[in-house]
Amino acid sequence: MEIKKHKNLIVLLITACWVAVTLSGWYGHWFFGLCLSVVLMLLHMVLGAAQNGIISKKLLIYPLLSWAVLWILGFIVGEYYSKAFLGQMPSFTVFGFHPSFSAIILAYWVGGVLTLTLGLLYYSKEWLSDEAWDTFKKRIAELNGEQANN
Amino acid sequence: MSSGVRYLIVFFSLGMILVSFLIGWSAKKKASDVQSFFGGTALFGPVTVGLSTVAAVASAFAVVGVPGLVYGAGNTMNLWMLSSCAFAMAYFAVGKKIRAMAEVGPIASLGDISDLRFNNHRGIKAILSIVLFMGAIAYLASQISACTALFAHLLGWNPYVAGFFIFGILTLYTAISGEVGGVMTQAFQGLIMVVAGIIMIGAFFMITGGFANVLEVVSKAGTVTATVDGQELVKQFTPKAMDAWGAMPGAIALTWMFIPILGTMGQPQVLTRIYALKDPRDMPKLSLYAGLGHFIIGFFALTMGYGALYLVGKGLIPPLANNDNAIFAVADYVGVVAQLFVYAAILAASMSTASMFLTLSSNIISRDLPTALGLKLEGSKQMNISRATTFIIGSIAIIFALTSGEAVAILGTFGWGTLMSATFPVFIIGLAWKKASSQGVMAGLTVALVLNITSLLLNRSGFSWPGGLPWYVNVITAAILVTVVVSLFTKGAADEEIDPRVDAVIDL
Repeated sequence: MEIKKHKNLIVLLITACWVAVTLSGWYGHWFFGLCLSVVLMLLHMVLGAAQNGIISKKLLIYPLLSWAVLWILGFIVGEYYSKAFLGQMPSFTVFGFHPSFSAIILAYWVGGVLTLTLGLLYYSKEWLSDEAWDTFKKRIAELNGEQANN
Repeated sequence: MSSGVRYLIVFFSLGMILVSFLIGWSAKKKASDVQSFFGGTALFGPVTVGLSTVAAVASAFAVVGVPGLVYGAGNTMNLWMLSSCAFAMAYFAVGKKIRAMAEVGPIASLGDISDLRFNNHRGIKAILSIVLFMGAIAYLASQISACTALFAHLLGWNPYVAGFFIFGILTLYTAISGEVGGVMTQAFQGLIMVVAGIIMIGAFFMITGGFANVLEVVSKAGTVTATVDGQELVKQFTPKAMDAWGAMPGAIALTWMFIPILGTMGQPQVLTRIYALKDPRDMPKLSLYAGLGHFIIGFFALTMGYGALYLVGKGLIPPLANNDNAIFAVADYVGVVAQLFVYAAILAASMSTASMFLTLSSNIISRDLPTALGLKLEGSKQMNISRATTFIIGSIAIIFALTSGEAVAILGTFGWGTLMSATFPVFIIGLAWKKASSQGVMAGLTVALVLNITSLLLNRSGFSWPGGLPWYVNVITAAILVTVVVSLFTKGAADEEIDPRVDAVIDL
């Protein structure tokens, strides 16, 4: 998926997200800010992971979008059970954790590693292929040569 | 604690300091040129860089402060510590571009990358250096202060003796071997932290029987009181501490989720390690190793906080007079092996972070700032000056940390957020967006510098930011906003004015 033409827009969205997350904190809408910060992180990663202005669809679906959906779902479940058992001991646990915090453990912590960390490993070529790296090095050698001649 | 245990801790700690010194000493052969001495550039594999990165990121605060905060307010702080995927996020966002810059020119510091990206803009390099120095010296002084106080108290040593012994040796091997020694010793110290973490996680399960028991105790304990040495100690438990957001306000939960995750990509201890990696195609493996190391250390901190909550809630130990004692309370309850590994982990965390920020601050003073001011020195002279600077900064930092407790605490305001406010405009925005102009980044950095100092003064006067949001969130947002808005209307070092080699890096 080509993003080259949309880079200005992505950077403006990143900036808008930073401002909106901060204002969410100011005005007490912290949970909205929490979910919006996932979009902010996703935009930073999309911008950085693109090769020659193109982000691989595989990379976009898994790990990037899978991670974003997982985290937002995790936060929603965490908030739901936080409210459901407010001020009391929960009636059930997940792996011994408060059900609200278990969403953080499973989606945020373990899920984050299973998507982003393993996804980067699994789709490493989509992130930086051998060909792209070799071409880059060749191009830099050429440019350095041109500079030396000038 | 019996004197036998104290001797064992001394023996164990001395062993760790000695091994660190030997690693640092042996690394000096590798520190043969400017790139290796100042940056360890393109020298290491993913395991070494991964352990080094984790050790430098996980400071003494992660091992001591975090369990204390978990004991005090429950899971809010765990959002910070369970950010293990942040390394992968950092490498997605900026990893290959930072590493690729090391192919473009001789990269030995973050200032060198700034030079290449912004066509040797001296103002950007100077302000970047100043803000990074503020954050670095704050980290360095707080590591020395906390670690020295702990070991001086434990061993009954004069704090000056303890401080100069531990951090004097650290300064020596750092000066000799530069960043090469830094990376290698930090990798060893990271390994110690991981091993200590595994042992203490096992100890947690032995004493509590698992998380369900902790949840039950915390939910039902109510208020626990005890009188110790004539002092009444109280711990109020709340079930809220155990839900996803803990007992702190929502704005803090928000901040402690997104700032550590995004902030990881803006920490010098992560950025400088990226260009220390030999082959950039190994970065996914680096992400795995750093993520797994952090996974264990994060879980270690969580279980120590939970362990203290369980022991106090069950009435097995009295409430803690100081929340920062949480990890020691658990270690003391478990016994001698736990005590040995907990002190080793704290020493490793302090030393690794201190050596990272010692090299960063001395590189800034001896190399980046002088070149920003137009002073250029030949390579071997730079290295010799840097060695002398390391000695001077190390010695001053030790004396400052031991004599100016209040000033260290004030300076401690700077840290993670301060470093982010400087690195985001220059590297995270600058290496991802060709339109980021030198004027925009200069304006963003100036805002960061002014607001960091203003926030320090405002905090001292008791000023509260809207919504109770920590000050650094506002500063980082302002720096990014100004960088982007000014870049939209200016052209310096942007688009066609970018060095074609840097253009290729941004496209990579």
